[in-house]
Amino acid sequence: MTLQILLALSAILFAFGLAAILSRSNAIMILIGIELMLGAANLNFIAFWRFSGNPSDLTGVLFAIFSIAVAAAEAAVGLAIIILVHRRIQSVEVDDASNLKG
Amino acid sequence: MELLERAPVELKNAFLRVLGSLGVPEGMLAILSAVLIIGTVIGVFLGLFALMSVMERKILARVQNRYGPNRAGPFGLFQPVADGIKMLTKEDLVPRAADKVVHFLAPVVMMVPALLVLAILPYGRDMVPVELESGILFFFAVGAGTEVAIFMAGWASNNKYSVLGAMRAIAQMISYEIPLVISAVTAAMIAGSLSPSVIVAAQGGFAAGFLPHWFVTTPWGFTAALLFYIGALAESNRSPFDLPEGESELVAGHLTEYSGFKYATFFMAEYIGMFAICGMFVTLFLGGWQAPLPFLTVVPSWIWFFGKVCFVAFTMVWVRATLPRLRVDHLLAFAWKFLLPMSFAAFLSAACWHYAGRGPAAWFLSLVVVGIPYLVLGLSFTSRFSVSRRTYLFSE
Amino acid sequence: MICESLKTCFDDPGKFLGEWFVLLPALVLLLAAAAAVVLRNLIHATLCLTLSFIALGILFIALGAEFVGFVQLLVYVGAVAMLIVFAILLTRPERLAKSDTALSGLGPAGGALAGFVTLGVLLGFLFTSPIAKKSLPGPASAPVAEIGHALMGDYKAALIVVGVLLTAALVGAAVLAMEDKNS
Repeated sequence: MTLQILLALSAILFAFGLAAILSRSNAIMILIGIELMLGAANLNFIAFWRFSGNPSDLTGVLFAIFSIAVAAAEAAVGLAIIILVHRRIQSVEVDDASNLKG
Repeated sequence: MELLERAPVELKNAFLRVLGSLGVPEGMLAILSAVLIIGTVIGVFLGLFALMSVMERKILARVQNRYGPNRAGPFGLFQPVADGIKMLTKEDLVPRAADKVVHFLAPVVMMVPALLVLAILPYGRDMVPVELESGILFFFAVGAGTEVAIFMAGWASNNKYSVLGAMRAIAQMISYEIPLVISAVTAAMIAGSLSPSVIVAAQGGFAAGFLPHWFVTTPWGFTAALLFYIGALAESNRSPFDLPEGESELVAGHLTEYSGFKYATFFMAEYIGMFAICGMFVTLFLGGWQAPLPFLTVVPSWIWFFGKVCFVAFTMVWVRATLPRLRVDHLLAFAWKFLLPMSFAAFLSAACWHYAGRGPAAWFLSLVVVGIPYLVLGLSFTSRFSVSRRTYLFSE
Repeated sequence: MICESLKTCFDDPGKFLGEWFVLLPALVLLLAAAAAVVLRNLIHATLCLTLSFIALGILFIALGAEFVGFVQLLVYVGAVAMLIVFAILLTRPERLAKSDTALSGLGPAGGALAGFVTLGVLLGFLFTSPIAKKSLPGPASAPVAEIGHALMGDYKAALIVVGVLLTAALVGAAVLAMEDKNS
């Protein structure tokens, strides 16, 4: 097995996330796409750490841990915003939330 | 006694030796050994579940001054068998509007984490099925799957009571998981490891010849143990936190549309999960398999472990018989406004205890550190409710 | 035959890891992620996303980063997936089973095209890069104690910043989602 397999997997995951973000208008589906892309990035961190040949250097692992923590914060705030928008305009479609005056 | 202590392991080894002499290949023996361990652990917990299902009804009946099940077999002990036959022969109903696939998968997803978490509990001296470096983390990470299962059950039933029950369950489990994990981390911090067996080992020995070094004997440990116990009650959806399936409000919550074997699977997974979290409570705060008094160490360690687990499970039934159900907003306010700050206080108190040298002076310091937040929070929490004095009209 | 291959997996976990333990969760991850993107039903998409989070966590564990794998399961399955589910239930309670989603102006074709172009570029770089040809080195593990020492040592500033960030996010999310008492 080579690093290529894992990196290709991560690239496919990233492309899935991007496609979801661009083709869906539902804010929650966009968030799902973002989570997939973050997962792909974490997979890259772990894959490079695993294949670095120097596993005692924990930078990749720690970066993944911090990235997971930041993703959790991002999901919480993102979903709070979605709930707030839904309360204002009774919709979670991003195309509906186009009024600048609020 | 030494023989009895090692009995489960020696029995397995003897069985494998017999098989080995019969010409079974080595690789097969390794797998068989794993299968034997898994089978024993699951078998023991299924037995505990069967016993608990009848004992709970007996204890509740005793508290409420009635007999409880006493028809099937001596003292009603065959009641689980009767219940099992009834469950298995019942028709399996699936609502027409249900999401069939998710409805079917929910009990399966519920069962997986309940069984997986049993792998890391230390059942006795050198008796851990899987020795994991981050066992505590594994316990909570896998336990998170339960929430997914409850949501799947509630949503797939396509019934408003089910969805409401599932939403309540998720809100409750997310809220109570935080104090639960923080109080568990407190014990892990003092032991200096996330491995359950190291945490149990850190609670060995006796102070002054008779006082066990269990974490529950320190002020921070007592606080964290109480918080963990309350969190455990909420995580296993037991009274007084059984709102998700509160029958007077929501029929049966996420279980409303389940019948027959699927319902039995849910029921079983809930009880095994309860025993698992009791086992974690015993491991973290009650010294795991350690004996409570020096001269009692002759009794095998695994008997101590299961004895303590049964005792904690008994107190859970006792609580269920005693306390009424909470209201849903009180439930969440209690978690976020009282349990969460108190778990931080216990955390801080444990750090003070450690850096003050773990002696009697440290004991008092940690008592102060945990006592002040308790008084402040408790007063601010109860001052909003005016409790009028109860007057008894017809009794003294 | 099966017995032999299982024996090698017990004797040499690294070899077993290279063959099975990575490829199986990777396959599940791909299928679940694809389903999460393609499915029209929001709840199904979220459940598939949860499955892909689980597969990703198992993949991390298989790669030797046990701690990250468990953190991934705890945070994503226990918190993020449940938050998404909660948001779905809170924003569309009127249509429980039929929460299908519309497509945006770009449409599935545009999204898929953008995805394919990105994938093509990434894979193109990947297959020409010499770094990607690296084969699996010896067994690797990230002991919890060392991760802890690193967090409290070299990375303590980052740890504090993440703590502040999480507190701010928690308070911010609570304030955002709070009922507006004035209106």
